[in-house]
Amino acid sequence: MNPDRTLPWDWYPGRIPENVAVDETAYIETTFSFYFFRSRLPKGVEIGRGASTYLGTMFDVGPRGRVTLGAYALVHGARIVCDSEIVIGDYALISWNVVLMDGYRVPFNPLDRRKELELLPTRQPRLAAADVPARPIRIERNVWIGFDACVLPGVTIGEGSIVGARSVVIEDVPPYTVVGGNPARATRQLEPGVRATST
Amino acid sequence: MNTPGPASLPANARIGPNTIITGDLAFKRFHSREPDALVVGANSTMDGVHFALGEKGRVQIGDYCYFTNAVLLCESELRIGNYVVVGWNATIADTDFHPLAPAERIADAIACSPAGKGRSRPEIAKRPVWIDDDVWIGPNATILKGVRIGAGAFVEAGSLVTRDVPPRARILGNPAQVIGEMP
Repeated sequence: MNPDRTLPWDWYPGRIPENVAVDETAYIETTFSFYFFRSRLPKGVEIGRGASTYLGTMFDVGPRGRVTLGAYALVHGARIVCDSEIVIGDYALISWNVVLMDGYRVPFNPLDRRKELELLPTRQPRLAAADVPARPIRIERNVWIGFDACVLPGVTIGEGSIVGARSVVIEDVPPYTVVGGNPARATRQLEPGVRATST
Repeated sequence: MNTPGPASLPANARIGPNTIITGDLAFKRFHSREPDALVVGANSTMDGVHFALGEKGRVQIGDYCYFTNAVLLCESELRIGNYVVVGWNATIADTDFHPLAPAERIADAIACSPAGKGRSRPEIAKRPVWIDDDVWIGPNATILKGVRIGAGAFVEAGSLVTRDVPPRARILGNPAQVIGEMP
């Protein structure tokens, strides 16, 4: 990162927001990932040692949202929709077009939703920002999420688990479990094994 | 990337006051020759939407709609009401894209190939998609041809919708099933 918080290799003329903490060994492909970032917390996003985010990754983080990316986590183009908290653990691998959403941004009641959609065109940039409940998402360490998968509000995915491509995860996944399908169901268990975790 | 910034409208597209269409790829695959091929009402937000219309495609979208990076693939008709939300990377298609019958598909492969200049494509199944008022469609969802989604229905993220959806149903899965009812 340059002193003015631009990126030397960036195609988009943006900056890393002040309240985004990036470890000096982390890699961010583009500041376009923060186009919808509007957290007002002191640390709206924290990106750990050796973590990386690539093109297509979007930190769509609301005013009270906080996203944490653990050490060596690799996010290859996920849509992170966060109004409460989304924690992505160390060594997690998140594939392209994955959606992690901790809320719906609009009221469920159609009449209230109409009011929100009437406000939306008055905002800059235009986005849904209704004050509706959000439920944190936890992706624990060493989880792998395949492409096009969706993780719905309130879900915890346990350590070492695998979420198959295009799965939709609507309930917690225990540690070391492979899930697949829409809605996602457990298909097998994994052995944790032993491996050195230092680089 | 479909980057921000207003898209320039084709001559046969019409949008209402305070409606915006952004993204430099919005009309990259817009081939419709119909008059009023795309009509969007007032106060709608079409952020990074792909309007991929065939020669006879017609898309009608109402007021106060909010679409983010949706992909609209239209060979016949998409009719979308008011206050409809379509989430990021959702796909709505009113066509099968290619014939189902194997022999027909070979003819189509040749017609579509760079060597197929001038050959016409075989008949391909297409049926209009209707999405009624107050429908919410989540990110990564897919809506297939001939489907009508009833008013106030809630299509969860990642759903694949192959059949009509009753009004106010909450649906999820592949294929999508009713899992509850909305207020």
